[in-house]
Amino acid sequence: MSATLAETWFLLALLAPVAGSLLALHPSPTISEAAARAASVIAWVGAVGLLVSGTAQQWIGYFGVDSVSDLFVFLVASIYALSVWYSRAYLRSVHTPFLTPQRYYALLAAFAFAMILTLTVSDLGLMWIGVEATTVASALLIVLERKPTSVEAAWRYTIIASAGLTIALFGLLLLYRAAGSLNAFALAANPLPATLTLTTAVALALVGYGTKVGLFPMHTWLPDAHSEAPSPVSAMFSGVLLPTALYAFLRVYAVIAAPVPFPLRTLVVVFGLLTAVVAAFLLQRQRSYKRLFAYSSMEVMGLAIVGIGVGGVALYGALLLVVAHAFAKAAAFYTSGNVLRRTGTTDIDRVRSIRERWPWTGGTWIASAVAVTGAPPFGTFVGELLILAGSVAMGLYWVAGIAGAAITLAFLGVNIQVGRMVFGSSDRTYLRQEDPARELWAPLAGLGVALALGLIAIPYLAPAIQAASRFLGGGS
Amino acid sequence: MDSTITIEALLGIGMLLTALYLQAESFLDPMVRAVAVQSLLLAGLLLWLAYVDRDVDLVIVAALVVALRVAVIPYILQRQIRAFHWRAREVRAAHRVAGHALAAVALAIVAWFIFQETLAPALPDLPGIALPFVLLAEGLLLLATRTNTLAQVIGYIEEENAVVYAGVLFVAAFPLLIEMVVFLDVLGVILVAVILSFQRTVIGIPEEELMEELSG
Repeated sequence: MSATLAETWFLLALLAPVAGSLLALHPSPTISEAAARAASVIAWVGAVGLLVSGTAQQWIGYFGVDSVSDLFVFLVASIYALSVWYSRAYLRSVHTPFLTPQRYYALLAAFAFAMILTLTVSDLGLMWIGVEATTVASALLIVLERKPTSVEAAWRYTIIASAGLTIALFGLLLLYRAAGSLNAFALAANPLPATLTLTTAVALALVGYGTKVGLFPMHTWLPDAHSEAPSPVSAMFSGVLLPTALYAFLRVYAVIAAPVPFPLRTLVVVFGLLTAVVAAFLLQRQRSYKRLFAYSSMEVMGLAIVGIGVGGVALYGALLLVVAHAFAKAAAFYTSGNVLRRTGTTDIDRVRSIRERWPWTGGTWIASAVAVTGAPPFGTFVGELLILAGSVAMGLYWVAGIAGAAITLAFLGVNIQVGRMVFGSSDRTYLRQEDPARELWAPLAGLGVALALGLIAIPYLAPAIQAASRFLGGGS
Repeated sequence: MDSTITIEALLGIGMLLTALYLQAESFLDPMVRAVAVQSLLLAGLLLWLAYVDRDVDLVIVAALVVALRVAVIPYILQRQIRAFHWRAREVRAAHRVAGHALAAVALAIVAWFIFQETLAPALPDLPGIALPFVLLAEGLLLLATRTNTLAQVIGYIEEENAVVYAGVLFVAAFPLLIEMVVFLDVLGVILVAVILSFQRTVIGIPEEELMEELSG
């Protein structure tokens, strides 16, 4: 792969959303939508180019990609493209003067750009800036419908995420002090022995970026933002925003040479376990299905952090889980958007007989619920199994036990609730209604990828996950 | 006593005092002025260290602090306060001024001791580094205890001041380019926060029944 071609893929992935954001402001809604769609496809092509070529190099000092960023850029570009192409159905159903296609698509592209920027900079300081920039773009997306609850949710999100990220910045200052550099690539190539300063820096980064990942107890913004955002945006939040913040933490974590000191490793594992367990309990008593899926994302991110802390094959499991979950959760939120448009409510108790009314929607909803909670044969199942197996292999039986309990609890909580909405009957008799294909293709596409990840080694994607895991010191 | 350390310490203690004042104040206009003073002290510290270390980069960072945190952001916040008179005082905070002040002092002492017991031994050449750590804790406390959105924005600025303060004490602060982009990014966050604060004022805070949607 020549440097020129690699640069082209990188520039396509990074700059297409910028162009899309600007062109989406065109006064014509048709042109705005066409520009957004074209930009999302071009960004995706660039991301696939990076993934297929396995590009690992740096440009002009502050930019660079390797096997880990190639994987995450592909993830962001894929969910961004799915969300953009799915958004027409959403925009047709919302009639608020403030929410124009121009504003919506421009902000969606800006949001994607901020994430891809985070993933393609080699400097940890700029990476922090990218994560903070995702807050700016995505907070405005939450507020577009201008409901009192959405403004409140956007406010909580901005203030909690920004306050948390400041702690991460404090950690980066310590890291710079200890390492004398913020170049993530150079530091990963020559990891440093764990001094007190460096360990504190990583711990602060865990708390700071953990706020954005949705780790307990800094998770409080997450269910609000997910439930109030438009469904395609919720898909991006769960599917790729949380993993982008996780990526930023991974880059800081990779600075410490193996073996990671026991207290730090324990801190990471305990944070992850607490998050998974608390989310598994909280989702049992949710009344909104969007909040239910938001807590499910929190549980999955907790498990991913456990996998990172345990290391070895569990780290590979964590990466596989994050990738498969992104597609499965996007499918769950797209289907939730379809249900919301048709029933006009997110209240679990007021939604019944979905299978009777819209059999395909009912099918995709139950399948996505099963997929996000790690049932076989989806990729999420394999990922969670590897995290548990990795914990057992390391002799961390208590970790495997607690994580297994959280997985079981979350599985039951989500699927019982979704099952009630899909199969549960009400007093009324419903006729089968139109279930248009234009609203089904996006959830089906997401489910297809999540399923394939569990059944086969998808060319280029499966090796990319293995390469990223090996790069981070894990198994494959 | 070394005059460099004395001036550094005086400016740092000045910043800490403004942080304690912020905790005890319920009127927003004086709070905005206090955080501007805190930022001015920070700029003074940057200029002093720029002079001591002969570092031009620090002069640029000081200029950014003055432009954004002493002038632009306080101006934006004060315009908000003038536009909505009823928001000029946080009623809930007004009833708890003594409690907030006590909590702030207690937190400062606890944060100081935690720092001294944990990280300080690893940074023996930086005796003043505990101050920004305490300032960060005070900013978080302000964010956590206030419900008024503008007071929360002030808490966030205080946190950011603590980070710049820590950065400059680490001698080799962040590279200038990153420092400048961080400033712009923080400005972006504050602008979004002000937009949301404005929207909250215009659209209103959700009724209790609607707030149920955001619970659990």
